Amino acid sequence: MNPDIEPYLTEDITLNKKSRLPLVWFLPVIALIVSSWLIYKAISEQGPVITITFPDAEGLEVDKTRLKYLDVEVGKVTAITISKDLKSINVTAQMNDGAEAYLKEQTQFWVVRPRVGLGGVSGLNTLLSGPYIGIKPGEGHDRKHFMGLISPPTLKNNDEGKQFVLETTNLGSMTPGTPINYHGVIVGEVLDHQVSAQVDAIKLTIFIKKPYDQLVKKQTRFWIDSGVDLSASADGFKVRTGPLISLLSGGIAFRTSSDALLTPTADEYTHFILYDTYDQSTQVFYSKTLTYVMYFNSSVRGLTEGAPVQLRGIPVGKVTGITLELDKKTAEIRIPVTVEIEPQRISIINNLPGVSDKEMVDALIKKGLRAQLQTGSLLTGQLLVDLDFHPTSKLTLHTNNSAFLEFPTTASSMDQFTHSAQTIMDKIAKLPLEDMSLEINSTLKALQSTSKATDRMLNSAKTTLDTTDKTMTSANQVLNSIEPGSTTRYELDKLLQELGQTASSVKQLTDYLQQHPDTLLHGKSKE
Amino acid sequence: MTSNPSALSQGLVRCHECGQVVQISLVNKPCPVCQSQLHARTPHSLQRTTAYLLSSYILYIPANVFPIMNVTQMGVTEEHTILGGILSLIESDMLPIALLVMIASILVPLLKLIGITLLLLNVQLRWQRNARLWTMLYRAICFVGRWSMLDIFMISILVALVDLGSVSKVIAGPAATAFAAVVVLTMFAAKSFDPRLIWDNQSTRKSRP
Repeated sequence: MNPDIEPYLTEDITLNKKSRLPLVWFLPVIALIVSSWLIYKAISEQGPVITITFPDAEGLEVDKTRLKYLDVEVGKVTAITISKDLKSINVTAQMNDGAEAYLKEQTQFWVVRPRVGLGGVSGLNTLLSGPYIGIKPGEGHDRKHFMGLISPPTLKNNDEGKQFVLETTNLGSMTPGTPINYHGVIVGEVLDHQVSAQVDAIKLTIFIKKPYDQLVKKQTRFWIDSGVDLSASADGFKVRTGPLISLLSGGIAFRTSSDALLTPTADEYTHFILYDTYDQSTQVFYSKTLTYVMYFNSSVRGLTEGAPVQLRGIPVGKVTGITLELDKKTAEIRIPVTVEIEPQRISIINNLPGVSDKEMVDALIKKGLRAQLQTGSLLTGQLLVDLDFHPTSKLTLHTNNSAFLEFPTTASSMDQFTHSAQTIMDKIAKLPLEDMSLEINSTLKALQSTSKATDRMLNSAKTTLDTTDKTMTSANQVLNSIEPGSTTRYELDKLLQELGQTASSVKQLTDYLQQHPDTLLHGKSKE
Repeated sequence: MTSNPSALSQGLVRCHECGQVVQISLVNKPCPVCQSQLHARTPHSLQRTTAYLLSSYILYIPANVFPIMNVTQMGVTEEHTILGGILSLIESDMLPIALLVMIASILVPLLKLIGITLLLLNVQLRWQRNARLWTMLYRAICFVGRWSMLDIFMISILVALVDLGSVSKVIAGPAATAFAAVVVLTMFAAKSFDPRLIWDNQSTRKSRP
């Protein structure tokens, strides 16, 4: 062993080398930076902790249920506890950073679960993933405790548009979410319904989406568009259906006439009347009406309340009441029909300011204006009241017990027609049909014998024809034998020549005899 | 404890590369066989080990706090921390697996960290007892080091295998990286620790009565 090395101490070699800082010390620094960054990130992403009260915790799970706004995760349920009064649950949720912006007084929370309704299916993705809590940001002061909604709010995602109020007496099958369509396009929905303060109507709050709210004018008419509207009226059968969804779950439709489209749009929360049917909504309501009573003697079967009153085919009013009257003295049955005539439907030319509508109607009646029942549709048999001029008809007035003036009537053309038909039928009934048939019978017998004789005649005619045929054949043969070139013909020709010669000689002779009749006695003189 | 004289006390140094035993007078010269630098002990062994150990400790916090994997099942994403995973395994009556995961993911790294810390303390504070036991501890740490990667392997296999879109999906969380770093760094720490230092303590004791 080398003595020089004896003073070396292991200590010096191993432990006294701290002079240099090895690069390896960067490692803990990097580790520190990385982990502190991770922790900082995790802490900075955490937002406020809020509590939401729900009636029950169906499907909600700690650490699994998320809070989502517009399908973006904004928080997580961290605890579910039962409230102190044991009637509801409190959900504690850890929100993400930045959630303060929408955690306000009016922020709404609800549990999104799969919902299958007639209007469609929603929240289907939650079937697999379980429910989540939806958020609809609201306004107001900051808050940390909220009441959860039982059902999703009808108006989601801050849709732009306008709200209006519809008044109706019949809610029908309308619920929040019932669609509102404009010419079949779904443009909004019912938000809410409540009984009005006077408890005489139901007020529906509706929402029309942004571009379509411009279509709602002051003159806009809303009507219930649910199901199939099948009506049989004097105008025939009518079927109106709304969109299929409305057919199943009810709906509201609205319509704005084209000239009203130019008028300014209705303000928000404007009140409208919700008509029960489309037809009702199309009717124009006139302030001025004249009520008359009409007495019809014939049957009014097919005439209904609401049936139109037409003047030369144009509706000017409607039937408002049909009753039956029995006169005990005369035992006469009459049918007074009350009608409302809307004179505003008729535009006036050459207006006379002094003449009232009533006086004008009287003048028209004097000119022969009469009411008449007419069949509006042969298919349904519905009747309507037609007004027209019948200058020939008499003005017959009845004892009028009603409060209204009487409007003269005339028998309907159908009545007149049936009347004449009846007369004709009576005349036919009076005919001596039995005698006639007997006579006809004998005539027929005579005819029969005549026809038999004719038959025989025809038979003899047939034999005659046969004989004629034979004669014709022999005649043909004879004619064939005197054809040119045949001996008979030649002989005949010869004979005829000779006959000619003979005739000429006879002629000469007779001529000679004429000149010289004496030759008969003296013979031919010698010249 | 029987003390055999150390190589250093006899003026001998072993080359790290080729194993050539060289006289200590040549310490500042390269190895006569392979020309590599000669050191009596691994240079900066304690500093390195301390640095690695410190990094491991720092990363051990996020490794356990943050989720190690995000399991998406039927659209619901659940985050599992190491401890949470073990608890859910116990809840679903898979005690043996829970035990295995617990040993591989919690006990082993923790024991390793503590073990290396103790080794460092031992050297620095010159504890004089049971040098052989300390060496055994070191050996055990070296051996067990790689087995902590079990968790990371499991996660990487799961990530690769379970990818059915929204039905079920596994994504490694931030803790996985940190955990893997802890395992690797503790292995480095164990490797950079020179076990001869344990024995050097004994010999100094001997040399300084």
